This record gives sequence, C-alpha cells and structure tokens, in this order.
Amino acid sequence: MVILFCIPIAILAVLSTGAHALFETRDAKLKSVKTVGIVSAIGDQFTLTKAGLTGPNNSPRTVPIASWGLDDLIVQQVAEALSIRFQVQPVTYPRATFATPQESAMTAVNLVRGDRFKKLVQTEVSPQGLDAYIVITKAKANFSGNRKVEGVGLIAYSAVLESFRLLHALYEIRVVDGKTFDIIEKFAAGPLDEASSVRLPGPSLVIDASFDERDENLRRAIVDLVIRSLPNTLSDMHLVNRKP
Amino acid sequence: MKHAVEAALRFPTRGAPRTFFAATLAALSVTAAVFDRASAQTAFTLPAPPFELPLLPPASGNWTVMIGAEGRYRPDFAGANHSLFSPVPIFSIRRAGSVDRFRSPRDNPSIALIDFGDLRAGPAGKFVSSRKASSHSELNGLGDVKSAFELGGFIEYFFVDWFRVRNETRQGFGGHQGVVSDFSADFIVPVTRAITVSAGPRFTWQSTKAVSPYFGVDTVQAMATGLPAFDARGGAHSAGVGAQVKYRINPQWEVHSYIEYDRLLGDAAKSPLVTARGSVNQTTVGIGASYSFDFKIR
Repeated sequence: MVILFCIPIAILAVLSTGAHALFETRDAKLKSVKTVGIVSAIGDQFTLTKAGLTGPNNSPRTVPIASWGLDDLIVQQVAEALSIRFQVQPVTYPRATFATPQESAMTAVNLVRGDRFKKLVQTEVSPQGLDAYIVITKAKANFSGNRKVEGVGLIAYSAVLESFRLLHALYEIRVVDGKTFDIIEKFAAGPLDEASSVRLPGPSLVIDASFDERDENLRRAIVDLVIRSLPNTLSDMHLVNRKP
Repeated sequence: MKHAVEAALRFPTRGAPRTFFAATLAALSVTAAVFDRASAQTAFTLPAPPFELPLLPPASGNWTVMIGAEGRYRPDFAGANHSLFSPVPIFSIRRAGSVDRFRSPRDNPSIALIDFGDLRAGPAGKFVSSRKASSHSELNGLGDVKSAFELGGFIEYFFVDWFRVRNETRQGFGGHQGVVSDFSADFIVPVTRAITVSAGPRFTWQSTKAVSPYFGVDTVQAMATGLPAFDARGGAHSAGVGAQVKYRINPQWEVHSYIEYDRLLGDAAKSPLVTARGSVNQTTVGIGASYSFDFKIR
C-alpha cells in the first residue's frame, strides 16, 4: 500500500531530476521554424452558463461577440510577441470553421479521430508553405461537477447563502508544423496567478459586478484576461523568452 | 479525456500499521510547509517528456496534485457489530483549475470514457480486503476469505447540477466471484462557494457468489463455530443513507467528513454470523483533510 502511495511521488521526483535534455526534441523542431502564421478563433461567441442551484431548464445561452474583434486583437498581440524571434506572416482562414467544436463525448472517438486542426491548417489556411502555424482555439473545462464550459463566457453560480459570477477566457494554442502538419506543441492557457477559491483550468476571474452581456466593461474584462495570460502561455510553450 | 486525465486513489488500509498513518500525516505536514507560500501559484516546473503517447493528449500544462489523509471508522468486517479505525491516504492529480468533480464516499476509482457532462460512464474498480478469521473472535472457525478485486463499470447522470444518480456494477475476482451492483443518489447542495453538503439514499444488490463467502455457513463451518448451517443467497443486500460535508478553507486546504449507514437486507441480514454475532446496522464515519498544489509541465 505504501508503495502504491509512493509511486506518483517517485514519478514526480524522477521527472524533476530528469534531464532537461528532454526538451531538445521539441525545441529542435522550434529552432528550425523561421516563418509563422497566426490563426485565432475563440472570439465568436460569449456563453452564459448557470450553475449550482439551478432549475431543470438551464441550458447555456450564447451571444455573438464577433464585433468585439477579440480574435484580431489576439492575432495582433501574439504577432507582436513572436516577431522578436519569428517572421510573422499574415494568413487567411475561415474563422467559423476553426471556432466550431467537433469533439465527441466518447474518448475513444476523439483518440481515433486525432487532432482535427492538423487537417484544417492543411486545407483551410492560406498561404501554405510557412514553417509553422500558431493556432489559437477554444479550450473546454468542467465546472460544478457536470457543467462543461468553453471559450469566452460567464458562469453565474448560485449557492444557498451566496452567488457569484466567474468570467472565463479559455483557450489553447497549437504550433502546427507547416510541412508535415504534425502538432509540434499544444498548450492550454493556465489559470492566472491570483489565488481564488473558485478556479477554472484557464484564465478566469470571479467578479462581483453585474454585467450586461453587451456591456463594454465585460469586453474590457475579457480582453484583460486574454492579454494578461498570453505572455505566460507563449513563454511556457518556449515561443518567447520568459519575462524576468 | 482532455480534462479527465485524472486518477483518484483512496486506498482502504484496514489494519494497517499506525506508523503508516503517522507517516502520511508527517508527509502531508512537510509538503504543506514546503508549499505553504505556493498559494495558487505553480509550486515547481517539470520538463515535458520528449515524446507523446499516440492518441493521448500531451502532458504539457498546469496540473494540480492533491494529497491528504482520511480517518475512517467502520465495521471490522461485513456484518460486524463493532468498528475499527483505519487510515486512508488521499491522492489525486488533475489539470490545474479543474474543479474536483463531486465524489460520494461510496464512489470507487473510475474513469469516464464517455462524458456528455450530465451523463458519464466508464470502467470502475474496487479492492475488497481479505477477511482473516484469526483477527476477530466472531469469525473463529469460519476460515479466511481472500482479498477480492471487483472490476466493472459505472454510469452516472446529473438530472440537475444538484442531483446525481449513480450505479456501479462490478464482477468480483479472488475472494468472491459474484456480481455487486451499487445504486446511489445524492442531493448536492452548495451552501457557499466553500461549503458543500450532500446526502442521499443507497442500495446494494449482490449475487449469490458475492454474498456466500461472507455470510454463508457450510456444514464444516457450522461444526467448527456452533452456528447453524446457512446457505446465503443473493438479492437485495443493503439499503441505507449517506451524508457528506466538504469545506474548502482556501484554494489549497480542504476538509471533509461523512457518515454512511447501511442496514443489511436479505440473506446477509438473516445469516447466523449477523444474527448471533454481528449486527444488521453498518455505519461508517470518516473525516479527512487534503492539500492541493500546482506544478507545471513545460
């Protein structure tokens, strides 16, 4: 029994003392990348989700927010960050195709199907022939046991003695090889550093204020979440140097 | 399985040396001291493996590890009328920030291979520790029952966020070769963002091969024990209720406590082992604490 308890600890210890040379395979691939194109498709919809003590009819509601220009802002921010190391070239792509989730509820199906963004980059992005493509898409997360949330949105959570709202901007970044279309790296943006009693596996923020979904403050808060999380995410992917 | 790369291990260690429990608590204290300043920030960073297993999501990212210990006071053996304290280590690892899904104390380790959010299903397993006749005077003459592994599946459904029903059906190997089917329902009430209370009814059905090794008395055993011979058959095994309260003190620390009550039914309740030397009332009480910290693979 003690052995079983110690196995995960031992794995962590081995990994932590394990060679940093392990990075080399992935880093070597990134070193050969000179030209990149950036695809962003997270900002088409804002999802309003009710969780906690809710009634039976509590399906999430979506509001179109393409007018916020969130994806253009992300492309601009990422391009600016990457331009120090890479030659960033503009690309065109059908944003809605990249934004449409097609994940199956069955794990086996997803495993067999593979990463659909490989194929999309190969067939839908123009121009082809760049060394790599940076693809930023919605990430999913579980909340409150049975709730699944993704992308940009707001969770209204009700408990017996209190209620709160949780703003989220969940996204993941892939680096797709421009020649083989293999995924060189894939990383989901992590939570912001602030300690919070409620967290999601991505940029999120508990807010007390009441927002209308078309409120300018809401847009500002989402933009702030994305902009604050992007540098760390790009750094974690070894795409930019870590900030001191 | 993107966010369900999660393994929760709660090993019952009935009769385990107290030193192990002390060691677990000591390890917990040391870890808490080391990571006390970690807050919700990343405690350390590990290198990503140079390879990715085909068909599995990459390990890169932020992860949360939960370690802890639980003290469990439960019947010495199925049908016993007195209880024993046993320590249970708690360990789980999941994507950082993922909300630890609701778990009833009855839930056994499982993996959701089908996950619609409201509806989840997948394999489940349970370890049933051996029953040593020499450990309890009531069992003298009955002989030992070996440890059993129960493997099967689970399905659970959330009608609303605060009401879940779950079934686990498992086939036994080793100590018994029967089928066990556990049904439970839980009302999950978030009192505040930190406190959650849950409670609900339970019911267990077992086949004859699952009941017989623990509650049957054959002729030889009858002669050795003085108990009347009894042919225990399967069917409704127990019904009861359970309640649990969890309090998340801060993003790192969580404490929980629960009580589970079962009343044995059918041939388990009629067994001479229970009627003469045990009790149909089976109560388990647990209290525990866990500490969570983040690490990063990049």
